[in-house]
Amino acid sequence: MSQLNNKLLIDVGSTYFKVSSSKGVEQHFRDFNKDIYDDLTYKCGDTIKTYEKENVYICSSANGGLSTLIIGVTNSFSLKYATNIAFNSGINIIDTVLYQDIETSSIPSDLIDVVIVVGGIDSVSNIFGKELFSYLEKITYSNIVYVGSSKDSETLQKNIENLVILPNVIDDKLHIVEEHLKEYLTNLYQADIMGKEDIKNLYEITSNQIYSTPYIVNKTLPFITTKFSVVDPYILIDIGGATTDIHYSKDLVDDNLVTTNEYDRLVFKKLGVFKSKESLIFSAKNNEFVYELLSHLKVTENIFEEQSEKALRILMQLAIFLVLCKVSHYRKAYVNLKLLSLNSLVLTGGITKVLSQEEIEDIISFFYKKILNSNHNPSVVMDSNYDIWTLGLTQK
Amino acid sequence: MSLLQEEREIILSNEYVEHFDFAEVEEFIKNASKDLFISHNFRTKNKMLVQPRGGFPTYNKMYALYEFFVNANVDVLPCTIDSNTRLNDYATSKKMLRLSEESEVDMLNGYPLVNHGYRTTRKMITHFNKPVSLRHGTPDARLLIETAIASGIFEIEGGPITYLLPYSKNFPLDKAFLYWKYVERVCAKYSTLNEPINRESFGPLTATLVPPCITIVIQLLEMLLSLEEGVKSFSVSFSQSGSVNQDIVTGAVIRKLAKHYANEIGCGDAEIHLVYHQWMGAFPMDQNFSSQLISLSTAIAAMVGADKIITKTKQEASGIPTKEANAETVANTQYLLRILNGLPNVVDVEEEENLTLEVKAIMEAIFNDSADTLWRKAFNSIKNGIIDVPFSPHIINHNEMITIRDVNKNIRIMKRGNVPIPDKCFEYEKSKCDLKKDTTSIVNDIIHDIGIMQ
Repeated sequence: MSQLNNKLLIDVGSTYFKVSSSKGVEQHFRDFNKDIYDDLTYKCGDTIKTYEKENVYICSSANGGLSTLIIGVTNSFSLKYATNIAFNSGINIIDTVLYQDIETSSIPSDLIDVVIVVGGIDSVSNIFGKELFSYLEKITYSNIVYVGSSKDSETLQKNIENLVILPNVIDDKLHIVEEHLKEYLTNLYQADIMGKEDIKNLYEITSNQIYSTPYIVNKTLPFITTKFSVVDPYILIDIGGATTDIHYSKDLVDDNLVTTNEYDRLVFKKLGVFKSKESLIFSAKNNEFVYELLSHLKVTENIFEEQSEKALRILMQLAIFLVLCKVSHYRKAYVNLKLLSLNSLVLTGGITKVLSQEEIEDIISFFYKKILNSNHNPSVVMDSNYDIWTLGLTQK
Repeated sequence: MSLLQEEREIILSNEYVEHFDFAEVEEFIKNASKDLFISHNFRTKNKMLVQPRGGFPTYNKMYALYEFFVNANVDVLPCTIDSNTRLNDYATSKKMLRLSEESEVDMLNGYPLVNHGYRTTRKMITHFNKPVSLRHGTPDARLLIETAIASGIFEIEGGPITYLLPYSKNFPLDKAFLYWKYVERVCAKYSTLNEPINRESFGPLTATLVPPCITIVIQLLEMLLSLEEGVKSFSVSFSQSGSVNQDIVTGAVIRKLAKHYANEIGCGDAEIHLVYHQWMGAFPMDQNFSSQLISLSTAIAAMVGADKIITKTKQEASGIPTKEANAETVANTQYLLRILNGLPNVVDVEEEENLTLEVKAIMEAIFNDSADTLWRKAFNSIKNGIIDVPFSPHIINHNEMITIRDVNKNIRIMKRGNVPIPDKCFEYEKSKCDLKKDTTSIVNDIIHDIGIMQ
């Protein structure tokens, strides 16, 4: 912990904020009637005052991250590569569009923070045409970046206003080149939070860049064994107020990409227990095993209407179950994890403050039995003291 | 409890594993017959050990296979693991094992050791009282190795590079290094109880035009990674390349450099052995030709002075060999070894010097990588092409190096890619090839080479 002694680490979440100093980690429920800066300095002002600006490190997932739409040419290369890079940069993907289906694809109604266009290796040309331009005209976005074949750059530049062109994410050997896009997305996130008044004010107390929390957690994973008895392959689930993130060892998937990172991330934007509670309940009601789970937990569906501590616990248990369902072979998703090979399951975020280890083990065991027909029981590790997050922030 | 022990307990709590009693396993190893340890056999048997390949799904068939092998005078029994277990898919191997038992049709291509469990397997291993070699090809072999050693299998083949680059397309290489580090630690820990557990690297790699310098570098790295974790008995290996002279040179250089680098890291006390694989490429359809090829392998192994030879069968080109064919090849190899007396000691100074320079240059580049651990240096070297395995399917492999055979069938480097072959050596390599040919002819030669022994 000696390296932490002179540093103050702050994580601004959508529900809590956590402050880690040499005295330990303190956490506070956010007051949504106040600006984050005011709330933070009101509750922890004395601690913050004792640190120099260059020793204060902040990460945030408070605004849910950037929303992204990716347009690519193939599912196995361009879309997969860009999706992987976006997830690992802490970006939330709202949809992906396969270019050949672009004319029949639905038009997202939300404002999209960034559109990523990708496809082809550098020796291929004339991939994109008027279909792309007319699709883009119909959607509302703030930024657009092209990371596909360099031979098409000029045409796209001429036809798309404010297009940012970066090197192709696919090299000639079909390997992933992630750094340029990753840096762009991370900076965009930075610019985004700079633009948000209440986060912007946090630069009053730090001179360091504010990063997205998932990006920081992802950075931590290679060092996790220094703090916990975690046995690879493992997954880390971060269940927060607005989103649920899964970070997973890449040997749990069949189609690994060669990247510098040993771990990948998935985000479920609408599986939080506070801000996205309604969509969590909606997903739960659409899961054929949930009523059995509720009965296993000795509650009825009336729990969804309740506002109690018990209801919160049930929602958190549901979130674990649903997120495991989403990455298992039960559902065809962006990625299916080989959960039977899992040795450890690490939980971080607000969930560790609400549920006991036994309650979590119970849900995991229910999931394995019902969905995977297995008695497999990965070991459960609780990051109750937010060590993973503090470890990550100091690695940056 | 140590971190390693905590990790072991989590790995062994897998639902497909019977209850694992660490104390009982230690007690078994402590009192196990020395004959079960190949390291003991290497030391006491004054001959080249002969080991076939083979593995069947059911206990009964495996038992019958071992009976056949013992009658054929085998020195080392094989335990080839099925491909589902290799991929850590114990659920499928369990299902297929049941089907194999019920239908008497083999639904697996090897012995599902984890599903059989160590208590059952141990009965068979101790009954035959011969050393058993575990052959698998698994990047994450942690559970498999725990089960194997508990069963009485004290010879573990494989390594993070040799069991990944030829076999896997996209299993993360960094993970493979860490998973094998666990294996080495477990082997080292158990080695203190009785005779050393032997670790053996898999030298044939893709068995297709792999130049000796690449084979040797990878063998040395896996040896060093193993020794630095405390393993005391290690076998480096390579396979018949198609050139008698090149094999003899490779054998001499690998032996010399293995000792040299083991000393460099302060592990000179470890026993290093040399294993030779009979031809690992495509076999001729004509079984008579296959027999000749196998006999030639045996003669080369004798000239190289190998400590162990791993056999092939004349049925190789037409499917999975029967136990009869396997037993026949063992008996033939033993016979040939008995009558091979007074072979000349062939030395090719120029070739040895060239190969030594190549290996040393690559090793130096690896050691110069800025990473803080040897495994990470090796990882970076594969990633940036300093180590490049021809025809590896793994996406991390560079595949920039191009090799071709010269007129004497030696494998020569035509394009070095990022592999730091010294200029002098590279010129030597190229001077042996006919590079005046057009590209199409060279490509055709390479394609033809895949079936060189046809």
